Amino acid sequence: MSRDSILKTIRQNKPEFTPLQKYLEVTDPKSGRELLEIFEKSLNQVGAQFIELSLNEEIDTYLSIHFPEAHQIGKNGFWDQYGADCSKEKLDQIDTIILEGQLGVAENGAIWLDESDFPNRLVPFIAQTFIVRLDSGKILSNMMEAYCRLNLENTGFGVFISGPSKTADIEQSLVYGAHGPKSLLVVIY
Amino acid sequence: MIKIGLFIPCYIDQFYPQVGIATLELLQKIGLNIVYPLKQTCCGQPLANSGAEREAIPVCKNFVRNFSEFDYIVSPSGSCVYYIREHYNILDQTDQVKKVRQNTYELCEFIIDVLGMEDLKIEYPHKVGIHQSCHGLRGLKLGIPTELAAKQFSKVHQLLGKAKGIEIISLDRKDECCGFGGTFSVIEPEVSVKMGKERIRDHQINGAEIITATDMSCLMHLEGIIRRQNWNTKVVHIAEILNCNRL
Amino acid sequence: MRGHSEKAAQFLKDENRADWHDQTLWMVRQKRDVAAWSVPGWEDLREEASQIKDHVLSNLDNYLLQFEEKVIENGGTVHWASDAQEFNDLILTIIQKNRAKKIVKSKSMLTEECGLNPYLEKNGVEVVDTDLGERIIQFRNEPPSHIVLPAIHLKKEEIGELFEEKLKTAKGNSDPQYLTAVARSHLREKFLAADVAITGVNFAVADTGTVVVCTNEGNADMGVHAAKVQIHCLGIEKIIPGTKDLAVFIRLLARSATGQPITTYTSHYRKPKPGGQMHVVIVDNGRSKLLGNETYRNSLKCIRCGACMNTCPVYRRSGGHSYNYVIPGPIGSILGPDSDINKFKDLPFVSTLCGSCTNVCPVKINIHELLYDWRQEISEQKILPLSKRYLMKIAGIVLAHNTVYNLSGKVARWAIRNLSGKLIYHRINVWGRERELPEAPRESFKQWYRKNSLERRSGNEQG
Repeated sequence: MSRDSILKTIRQNKPEFTPLQKYLEVTDPKSGRELLEIFEKSLNQVGAQFIELSLNEEIDTYLSIHFPEAHQIGKNGFWDQYGADCSKEKLDQIDTIILEGQLGVAENGAIWLDESDFPNRLVPFIAQTFIVRLDSGKILSNMMEAYCRLNLENTGFGVFISGPSKTADIEQSLVYGAHGPKSLLVVIY
Repeated sequence: MIKIGLFIPCYIDQFYPQVGIATLELLQKIGLNIVYPLKQTCCGQPLANSGAEREAIPVCKNFVRNFSEFDYIVSPSGSCVYYIREHYNILDQTDQVKKVRQNTYELCEFIIDVLGMEDLKIEYPHKVGIHQSCHGLRGLKLGIPTELAAKQFSKVHQLLGKAKGIEIISLDRKDECCGFGGTFSVIEPEVSVKMGKERIRDHQINGAEIITATDMSCLMHLEGIIRRQNWNTKVVHIAEILNCNRL
Repeated sequence: MRGHSEKAAQFLKDENRADWHDQTLWMVRQKRDVAAWSVPGWEDLREEASQIKDHVLSNLDNYLLQFEEKVIENGGTVHWASDAQEFNDLILTIIQKNRAKKIVKSKSMLTEECGLNPYLEKNGVEVVDTDLGERIIQFRNEPPSHIVLPAIHLKKEEIGELFEEKLKTAKGNSDPQYLTAVARSHLREKFLAADVAITGVNFAVADTGTVVVCTNEGNADMGVHAAKVQIHCLGIEKIIPGTKDLAVFIRLLARSATGQPITTYTSHYRKPKPGGQMHVVIVDNGRSKLLGNETYRNSLKCIRCGACMNTCPVYRRSGGHSYNYVIPGPIGSILGPDSDINKFKDLPFVSTLCGSCTNVCPVKINIHELLYDWRQEISEQKILPLSKRYLMKIAGIVLAHNTVYNLSGKVARWAIRNLSGKLIYHRINVWGRERELPEAPRESFKQWYRKNSLERRSGNEQG
């Protein structure tokens, strides 16, 4: 059986065991404000927009004024309507989606979400416009800190999202909205 | 007294003796006891880089025979020195072989690291572009290439920077390969020449009258293109510039 | 098959286009530099990644077993394929079992290596490559010329014309925004209609059974979450131990590849979706054999970032198609001969050994040293042309013996000085096609030294 023959060859051929070295120390003593600034700079770099708002009501007001038709959890039975059984055609109709991010990474503007944050795994990708709310206190410095905070065993699917979908496959011209959302707005509070 | 052996690469010996002469004169001016062993030929690199490492062994052995008596071996060639230090591991590591490998230096690194000299009181009122030959730069670490995220330095720049009247021009691509690469120059002649032309144009656009380097092989390739194109830029080996001094 | 040097010569005939190709990729290399400089301790990070990979290779079987166990525990199915044929058959079997007719695929050099697309098409299955660059070359029926930027060799006008033919875009419109928007609609249709989604794997995390896929477009996710069946394909060397290791590689990958701090999407697939299937196919195809080769084993550390291609002055000026191998550039020139030494014996010589590739490799593969080693191996296997082998033997004799060397040098210089230009610059003189030979002095350095030493000595005697 291939499995056994592959493993057998690997056992015969692998080099002498070298242990894993200690990981480099990358914890960053920067303050929340400093991290937020770096995070926002990264968001710019990756083509995302952002807005800082302070109170819950302020956010709700802002979103209901600017994105009145947006889908979000807790509104109009979104979770039940767009669940795992939802048809692809219905999901394709989603224009704007608002979700809550679990944490952000300053060095690259990435935001972590997993399948507990949306009713169907296609939701963050199929929308035309994607809005993410993020608590500024959940911004970490770099990917090592972020991965140490997460436990991948908690979810069947998770994703770091950094900016809107993009491509530069046509003569290195940057275009947003290759397949996924054409724009990403981060509402930081 | 410290005895220094002068190794003059085969193509400098045959085609650019003035580079050898400049190297010898410079080291003599500094007051060193320099000897040029007459039975030397070549370091073996041209064969090894073509895949003929085994055929190079007798050539390498001849080198060791000629040079094992010296405290230091100095050569105006980064690539030859790199080859000796890195690839003479193919020989039996006798004491003589080890001694030769540890004590062979390219000219600029010898001056800075062994002699501890930086200011050779050079006078050279010209606009000079420095081509950072790859084996010297990346192999011998004569400098830090731009692709490494580390503090930039360059021994060649260090030595030339002190020259009176010199203007060292700044290149668009500071350390791209010239395209010589030994047999590469004839295996892939079109790519080789294209790379060479781009290097020369970079120097020309940025105002260099003279292109210098630690390796005459790079300069031989660039000069070949310059002469065929009837361009004005000159090539001068670093040894010849360093030898323009008031020592 | 035309070798690299012939194809490179052809590539360079259109000098403007070749310059554009070179400058575009040089810009990507520069973006990488900026990204590298922006990370404190970048060089330490590379060393860390290299060590993790060394460790993994020394414990590969155990990590693969751990990964397999976890994937199964999470509800996935694991398959093993010894070679390309078995891999292709496996994929076809999964597809047929699910009575699937429409497949979408996101970028996977492994599937390119195994020739999956033509095999599936031969068996009546529609495969759509969904990465925009890959879709473009799929339309053109040609292989990718770069492992990360597959259509880097094409100008937007050419893509405009192609889309006009294939997607009925407006005539003469080569605006990348427009073309991308049309491709977006076209491919969305394909995503929604697909029964099976195939992806590559950037990293397979052993301790949690996680498959990690990095894309900018989101095409892996669009495919995987829309289709009932998801299949992830990896070479055995893509395994990493755990999450901390993943952090190291994610920080290095996109920065090395394109200068971005991270790809837009870094997706972690662990469990199939409700009602769906998740398959993971582990492929050998020569890798376990390479693992046993002490000299070239390092090349298994490759994370397929393409940084070596962007920095290589030869790749930039000859284009990926000149290499004739699924993976071009410096790393391709090491992997190619390993897969077929006869077919790819020219590749290790397609280099000046400048060493820049080694310096940009995020996992510190000593690429330029392996190229040098391959040259020796190819030479030793006596597969180089007879004329070249004899030339080396002769050169070896000349260069080892002082008198022969001195005489040969004298003769060569005499010839250059005295023979007619027509003879010297005959077509056979490859150097002389676009370069002048060096001028030939009357005296070698050795002759000058001998003469001057004698004079000095006789001067001393008199004085």
